[in-house]
Amino acid sequence: MSIPLSNIINDWIPDGSKVIDFGCGDGSLLKNLIDSKNIHGYGVEINHEKIQECITKGISVIEQDIDEGIQEFESSKFDIAIMASSIQCLKNPHIALRGMLKLSKQCIVTLPNLGYWKCRLDLASGKMPVTPDLPSSWYETDNLHLCTINDFEKLCLDEGFIINQKVFCNPNSNQSALTSLMPNTFASEGVYLLERK
Amino acid sequence: MKTETSLINFESGISLESGYKLNSFDLMVETYGKLNEDKSNAVLVCHAFSGNHHAAGQDGDKVGWWDQIIGPGKSIDTDKYFVVCSNNLGGCSGSSGPSSINPDTQELYGKDFPAVSIVDWVVSQNMLTDHLGIKKWHMIVGGSIGGMQALQWAMMYPEKLNKAGIFAAATKSSSQNIAMNEVARESIRRDKNFYNGDYLKHEVKPKDGLKTARMLGHITYLSEKHMNEKFGRRFQDNDSKVDGNVDYQVENYLQYKGEKFSDSFDANSYILMTKAMDGYDASSIKKGNLEDALSLIQAELLIIGFETDWLYPPQRSKEIQIAAMNVNVKSSCVSLFGQQGHDSFLFASERYKNILKTFMESK
Repeated sequence: MSIPLSNIINDWIPDGSKVIDFGCGDGSLLKNLIDSKNIHGYGVEINHEKIQECITKGISVIEQDIDEGIQEFESSKFDIAIMASSIQCLKNPHIALRGMLKLSKQCIVTLPNLGYWKCRLDLASGKMPVTPDLPSSWYETDNLHLCTINDFEKLCLDEGFIINQKVFCNPNSNQSALTSLMPNTFASEGVYLLERK
Repeated sequence: MKTETSLINFESGISLESGYKLNSFDLMVETYGKLNEDKSNAVLVCHAFSGNHHAAGQDGDKVGWWDQIIGPGKSIDTDKYFVVCSNNLGGCSGSSGPSSINPDTQELYGKDFPAVSIVDWVVSQNMLTDHLGIKKWHMIVGGSIGGMQALQWAMMYPEKLNKAGIFAAATKSSSQNIAMNEVARESIRRDKNFYNGDYLKHEVKPKDGLKTARMLGHITYLSEKHMNEKFGRRFQDNDSKVDGNVDYQVENYLQYKGEKFSDSFDANSYILMTKAMDGYDASSIKKGNLEDALSLIQAELLIIGFETDWLYPPQRSKEIQIAAMNVNVKSSCVSLFGQQGHDSFLFASERYKNILKTFMESK
């Protein structure tokens, strides 16, 4: 995760809070939060190499398929649940989001925006988008459920998730007038802080 | 690898959880590697039900039960760590148990050896810790009821270990676990040579009962898949049948394993050990509240379940993880592929080796 993006997430996480990171990858984000915010952090990951990297870093990690087992954590309570750049890889993103907001008051979601103008150009020229946020070819990607910023916000509305904060970034993870004004076209990534009603 | 085996006597005795006091007891202990100057490289390995102090290296023709994991350059690297394993109290490999002499009476304990528990084992291992002059273990680790001991250690003496490895274990035995053990015990009790536990005085052993008990146990340690792959429905060759009743390879295997075990293991120890397993409940330390119990832990936990284990399946490992996480204990939980069922914790797959090694060396 880029530094500006991880700074945005850092700002939304209170000191000493209890955090679960779904799709935590190599544990870098949690490591930063533990070092800078003194959080109690737990990662959920399915990739064996990444789990190994978490353990190397001394990050608590649980091997779990999010699609199959978010209910495993039903008895647990967290201050914040994070799903960074993973939601589009799930079989049932909406069910995962519901689950996350059950076990956590707040939930941070980052997602690549398929409405980003470069994606639209790729599609208009008749090919699947390949951008810095969507780097893999269609046959190699883990992404199952790509959506646009507008699609995601409609899902939040339909599901009754409250969008407490949102930030839109360009591929350098910076915010600009354009990304703020017309995120669905000019943002390559959306970062959301969601709450339940 | 240099292996040192010694019998250590504890003259002060031990008050057991049952209320019984042993006025003096012995622990048979094996060590590998060298304790460093500040005594910070010690690893305690806790054995499972039928294991013993001989965890690694070669002793005559016997290879240690965790030799795939412990040794020079292995996951628990004896070039770096000083590794200790002791035979559990009540066992039959040298530590005080039903087949040893009661120092008070100079007679065999036999059935009079008191009930022991996982808590008692941990208390006795803590006495061993003091004896060795170790203030803090770098790691305490074990599989099955060895894992339960590691968990109990982390709750009872939280300041005395940095890390705990809890493999193929659970916070307590299930009803099915107890049921299996009861069938095993019943087969021992029904042996005509059992004499209500006094068989040594009659100079016999309830070998048939013990053999049947072990055969049942073996089925629970393996997985259906592994048995299918290893034996299928293949017939045993006539010239290698253990007896005429055998048709299939799986029968021959169980007969052979049961027979071998009944030669070496003590039936009263079998009963004591299974009772200790059945009686364990990690939450007991906090009146049945598991999360309160786990909140005592200061060590970092590595919890491993094995996919084909149906005795303590991975779900039981996850239960430990979730409860530990709920009380902010630093802990990781992985499910490993291991085709040998419950016994998978004994076999070192690449991933298993790497995870354990990394965990030991992580900050």
